[in-house]
Amino acid sequence: MRVTLFALSTCPYCRMTKKFLDETGVEYELTEVDSLEGEEKESAVAEVKRLSGGTSFPVVVVNDEVIVGFNKKRIKELLLP
Amino acid sequence: MSTPAPRQRFHEGTTIEDLKAYMTPFVVQLGYVFNDDTEFVDEVLSSELEILDQTGDVYCPCRVRTGDPKEDLKVVCPCIPFYADQFAKLRKCWCGLFVLHDVEDGSELHGVIDVPEGPADVPVARVESFPDGTVRTVRIGRREVALARVENDFYALGNVCRHAFGPLGQGFVEGHTVICPWHGWRYDVRDGTTDHPDADVKTYPVTVRDGYVIVTV
Repeated sequence: MRVTLFALSTCPYCRMTKKFLDETGVEYELTEVDSLEGEEKESAVAEVKRLSGGTSFPVVVVNDEVIVGFNKKRIKELLLP
Repeated sequence: MSTPAPRQRFHEGTTIEDLKAYMTPFVVQLGYVFNDDTEFVDEVLSSELEILDQTGDVYCPCRVRTGDPKEDLKVVCPCIPFYADQFAKLRKCWCGLFVLHDVEDGSELHGVIDVPEGPADVPVARVESFPDGTVRTVRIGRREVALARVENDFYALGNVCRHAFGPLGQGFVEGHTVICPWHGWRYDVRDGTTDHPDADVKTYPVTVRDGYVIVTV
């Protein structure tokens, strides 16, 4: 299973999502978009737009499913089938 | 690429309480209040103060700025008008900082992110702040709507005149007619009709509830 979290350091629901993922013990890749700079940031923003259709955070990707926002229920369903 | 600094509206040393006092009169007009989860509100606003220090304005802590000034204006907090249709269905703003005025438990909405299908009932103004015999433009997400008050009833119609795209919300009200401020085209506020063929504008249902004018889009 591949789990990715795109987050902003300033966003409370991103913090809740991080905390929740940490509690489940799942390994995930974290990209904190506002901590990046220059081209790295631009490409992360482009990736978030492509995946979610917008620029709202958090964005969680579990395998090929994209979840925009702190949707604990859906993340749980995907992680713990 | 350099983005021009936003015009300063908050002085140095601005506090969470200052932000609350500044934003409240605005969001009240739009049907929102601060979430009653005060700890959460303070967390969001302290993030906004950090962003204020870095950028010169209080951008949304849950959305990324793209550097395009026109787009970035839509993520200055409170961003409610620019997403009003979505937020009305979520019953809160994206961050959860603001909730609709009749939400009883704001913390219950933290996990809610799905925007349900179907129409949205969007509060756009307080009744008492809207004089009879006037029209104004209200923003509802990507739409602009001309909202008119005539004989104490409210009417909502597409804001764009079909003649030369004039802003009907800046027009004149005469009886049940809105007159376009650019060339005087006339529209009936009740059904959006005009005398010119194939040039009617769309109308939207309007209701009044709890002192708010609510447009269904």
